[in-house]
Amino acid sequence: METYVRIVSALSRAAAFVAAGLLLASIAVICQMLVVRHGLGRSAIWQNEFVTFALVAATFLAAPYVLSVRGHVVVEVVPLWLQGGAKRVLGLVAAGLGFFFCLLVFATSLEWWWEAWSEGHRTSTMWRARLWIPYLSLPVGSLLLTLQYLAELWQIATGRRPPFGTPHEVGA
Amino acid sequence: MSPLALGLSIGLVTILVLATGTPVAFALGLVAIGFLVAVEGPIALANLADTLFAGLNDFTLVSIPMFVLMGAAVAASRAGADLYEALARWLWRVPGNLVVANIGACALFSALTGSSPATCAAIGKMGIPEMRRRGFPADLATGAIAAGGTLGILIPPSITMILYGIASETSIGRLFLAGVVPGLMLTGLFALWAVFVSLWRGERRPVGPGPSLAERLAILPRVLPFLLVIVGVVWALYGGIATPSEAAGVGAVLCLLLVVLVYRVWRPRELWPILEATIRESTMILMIIATSILFGYMLSSLYVTQSIAQSIAALEVNRWVLLFWINLLLLVAGCFLPPAAIILMTTPIVLPILVAAGFDPVWFGVILTLNMELGLITPPVGLNLFVINGIAPDVPLGTVLKGALPFMLLMVVAIVILCLFPGLATWLPDQLMGPRVG
Repeated sequence: METYVRIVSALSRAAAFVAAGLLLASIAVICQMLVVRHGLGRSAIWQNEFVTFALVAATFLAAPYVLSVRGHVVVEVVPLWLQGGAKRVLGLVAAGLGFFFCLLVFATSLEWWWEAWSEGHRTSTMWRARLWIPYLSLPVGSLLLTLQYLAELWQIATGRRPPFGTPHEVGA
Repeated sequence: MSPLALGLSIGLVTILVLATGTPVAFALGLVAIGFLVAVEGPIALANLADTLFAGLNDFTLVSIPMFVLMGAAVAASRAGADLYEALARWLWRVPGNLVVANIGACALFSALTGSSPATCAAIGKMGIPEMRRRGFPADLATGAIAAGGTLGILIPPSITMILYGIASETSIGRLFLAGVVPGLMLTGLFALWAVFVSLWRGERRPVGPGPSLAERLAILPRVLPFLLVIVGVVWALYGGIATPSEAAGVGAVLCLLLVVLVYRVWRPRELWPILEATIRESTMILMIIATSILFGYMLSSLYVTQSIAQSIAALEVNRWVLLFWINLLLLVAGCFLPPAAIILMTTPIVLPILVAAGFDPVWFGVILTLNMELGLITPPVGLNLFVINGIAPDVPLGTVLKGALPFMLLMVVAIVILCLFPGLATWLPDQLMGPRVG
């Protein structure tokens, strides 16, 4: 199981690197778009759509990594108040609920992505971007989130990781 | 079940799920899809992926990661220390000069970074020990930083304002400008309080000559470029040269360049933490946005939003009583939830009621932001308090709170002043962009 945790962490990290790359690419495209529009006086065709898709994809792809470093905001009123076993049980409930939601998103997004891919859906703009490419980020991101949650559940259950805490506190 | 009873059960279940400590983004998503399936059946699941994706598929939202990157670049450099040093040198003669310098540095730094906790950490690390060494009481020193860190979400560029702009379909450039005067006013109120407390408690004045003019001028070249970025971003926006996302992208590039040129941060080892912090912060916010939009979609397709709005309108209360209760609701919500979730979930419900009561949506954006500021330093979630606690562990949380309390009251005073003089928020955008239409 420890190998599983290591592999999932590595995959989440890899996805975060891809997200960082998409972020850098978006910045470059925004600057290019301003040059094209204001410097050359031409209209931008694909840039708006590219940047938006890239950053939506970056969000879904980086979400598993953010989960692994406990970067998603939590309302910590009850967790701060509980101690010991009760806190661990609550941690398992919280991770269980998160796991269930991510699994649901994965299951439904797979079919949604497949439809866009098999039927060749495109955007209705001039660029006519193939939708399955940006859509792919949702099933991939939610699958990794589900796997990351499984690792969380196991680590919390076996006491390898505290049930709650910021990245700093858990030493990530 | 009537839509109102349904709304009540949604509220209760949401509180319950959030209380378990499930991340806010996933908790909101789970409650939303749970109620949709419960009412509409499993067919509701078919829209889940598309609603999540479409919620984020908006070019205006691109500005969020860009502004976060801008802030992360500034936060990773010594810009915070320089801002603080510059103000301390220039404000040498003012009573309570160090506290005033800290508040000013917090206002500028948080406007640049857009992050309240990052500001507390960056300015507080130098400011709090220095103020205490100079004999300022611990409560004033820590309270000023905790409150000062919140100033940035009112002063442009502000992510809170962008989200409100999206939720209320109000011009973001106009909202940014509307925040300028109230932001400066609140900074001024904070500074006045610091001067007053220093005089009242008999501050120990430093002896010897202050910094020379040459010393004061020497620090400016390191600070002014960052101020120019803020001015540039706002100018590009209201001048109609760039959309918020383009302005944010250019702001991010400029801040990265400044950090590379002025602070010599260029090695991949130093640049990766900036990117990592950006990815972490913006993913956290955008995931909350995606599921908050799903939550809003659920509320409106189950007719809850419309029913709540109609029932409040049917009460026919005085518009100021109405505003008071809405403020209280936002304040309480702000104590528990991050601003992104509150804005996206409550704006569709409360804004139509307020507009019908004759309130200006741009003005309300400022009031809403002030409420969110208060939430940032109110327990139990008030993140700033915990950051301060980390910097000055020997100061009990109660002392920090005692020091922050007068500043919190000043925020309430600012809300009251804005209610009495709405022009403070609407004058600047009206002057620069012409009166609002519609």
